[in-house]
Amino acid sequence: MSDLAQPIPRTQRSPGLWDRIANDARILAWIFLLPAIVVLIAVVIYPFAYAVVLSFQDKSPGIPGRFVGLNNYATLLSDTGFLETAVNTVWYTVIAVAIKFVIGIVSAVVLNQERRFNNVYRTILFIPWAVPTVVGALIWEWMYNEFNGLLNILLINLGLIETGIAWLAEPKLAMWAVIAVVVWTGTPFYTMHFLAGLQAIPKDLYEAAEIDGAGVIAQFWNVTIPSMMPVFTITVMLSTVFTATGITVVNILTNGAPAGMTQILPNESFNLTSAGQMGLGSAVNMVMFPFLVLFVVALTRRLLKDGNN
Amino acid sequence: MALTQKSSRRIVHVVGGIVLFVLMVWTIAPLYWMVATSLKSNTEIFGPSATLWPTAPTLENYVTLFQKTNFQLYFRNSTIVALATVVLSLVISSLAAYALTRLRFRGRRVLAQGLVYTYLMPSSLLFIPLLIIIRNVGLQNTMEGLVLSYLGFTVPFCTWLLMGYFVSIPIELEESAMVDGCSRFGVLWRIVLPLTLPALAIVAFFSFTLSWNEFIYASVLVTDATVRTIPTGIPDFVVADTFFWGPMMASTLISTLPPLIVYFVFQRFLISGLTLGAVKG
Repeated sequence: MSDLAQPIPRTQRSPGLWDRIANDARILAWIFLLPAIVVLIAVVIYPFAYAVVLSFQDKSPGIPGRFVGLNNYATLLSDTGFLETAVNTVWYTVIAVAIKFVIGIVSAVVLNQERRFNNVYRTILFIPWAVPTVVGALIWEWMYNEFNGLLNILLINLGLIETGIAWLAEPKLAMWAVIAVVVWTGTPFYTMHFLAGLQAIPKDLYEAAEIDGAGVIAQFWNVTIPSMMPVFTITVMLSTVFTATGITVVNILTNGAPAGMTQILPNESFNLTSAGQMGLGSAVNMVMFPFLVLFVVALTRRLLKDGNN
Repeated sequence: MALTQKSSRRIVHVVGGIVLFVLMVWTIAPLYWMVATSLKSNTEIFGPSATLWPTAPTLENYVTLFQKTNFQLYFRNSTIVALATVVLSLVISSLAAYALTRLRFRGRRVLAQGLVYTYLMPSSLLFIPLLIIIRNVGLQNTMEGLVLSYLGFTVPFCTWLLMGYFVSIPIELEESAMVDGCSRFGVLWRIVLPLTLPALAIVAFFSFTLSWNEFIYASVLVTDATVRTIPTGIPDFVVADTFFWGPMMASTLISTLPPLIVYFVFQRFLISGLTLGAVKG
């Protein structure tokens, strides 16, 4: 055994390799960062580069990809269904984000008022955030059930409708029904951030406004809103990216039905991939990606500008 | 102004109360319907005699769920995947966050910014190449494949969050420990980590819920029913049997409990130490 190991004299060890590594910040930094870098290259950066390449390929599972130039993009852009889906995606994202924003700020303002049992209300309003999105979608699918869902039972009992409505199958209602679920699961994200933002506004700003004779509503527009701008920007930025690219609710509730009315681009990509068209599926995402990047860059710039003021 | 500040404040308070009531109903109604349905018999769930609340509460849906479905298996798989993701995220992110906040080296700023952008990389963009990669390395239909993929969004986020906390620790504490002969790793282990326990709890919580809820990777990377996790396992119950809403609501209820319990335990930390970008929503 002992002849296998190179005998290292003790005197050489003390300023030796190990101590140098342990005390040299640069080497140590890279050792500490190595696992994170390896993981991120393996499951984020390399896949992203691969996704770009795939969008120029004809690729089915198990068969090597074949380069087809811009064919996938040409196929998509000449397909009216794809263009409708793109419009749907924008519409769905804008409406869902706008509603979440409004309910979020209203919830935060109300929770920020002094009231008894405020902790209880806050805990309850945050619950949908802890509910897994799949679970939220399934509960709502059952809420919307044409014959035995709570929504229809209540509306019939109140005498507002005669027979149950198939919320998820009606062309005019389906997208709104989907958006309602996205709003239900996603609003606590806004409420949480907005509440934290409200609590960080210095009290003396309100006191100063009050001395100047500003009423409650004037205080909201002149103190609350301007102070909250950075929080608004970052919350909307993150939420827009996650809303636009999140497929869980759409996939479970409608999977694009009826007739593609609720289809959004990421779910289209998911369906194409399930059907074995991985190249075309990647191209769908690649059409969407530049818009997301532009949006994030624009808002980040805004945020940095706000931060400097 | 016709209204005095006192009376306008009073009106705002009353209006706020009404709004709060509406928000509570909107939030609770679906949850109530889930709990109520899971406790009803099929005759109360379906048909003309459908009731608003369970008149004869029964646990039969739970019995069906556990005896006739794979739910226990999905629950077990989800637990394993989530816990493994939590442990690995904590280790990898603590090391990375320490390096990015406390060690001086070239490229530190670029790496820290790159981290934020990897977090914003949507999984719907990555799942196609990831499927090919995971399949090529033989990890399709394995929990290891899922855990590895989940690290792609937990590591950037957790590192980002921990960096904020590590910066707040007085550097003098670390310096004096190092003067006393403590190594860098010793400083991280004995000083930095114990001082940031609340942050570690939050990071653990988010890694847990993110991987517990994950749907898109789980759908494409796992096709084998024995490896499925809850988010891809339970939606199949609908297809399997049209009269399945009772056991389905029982399964959604049980699936919500782990993140909900963790949320109740950690909510003090969550709200006081809230950092933006904490959840995907």
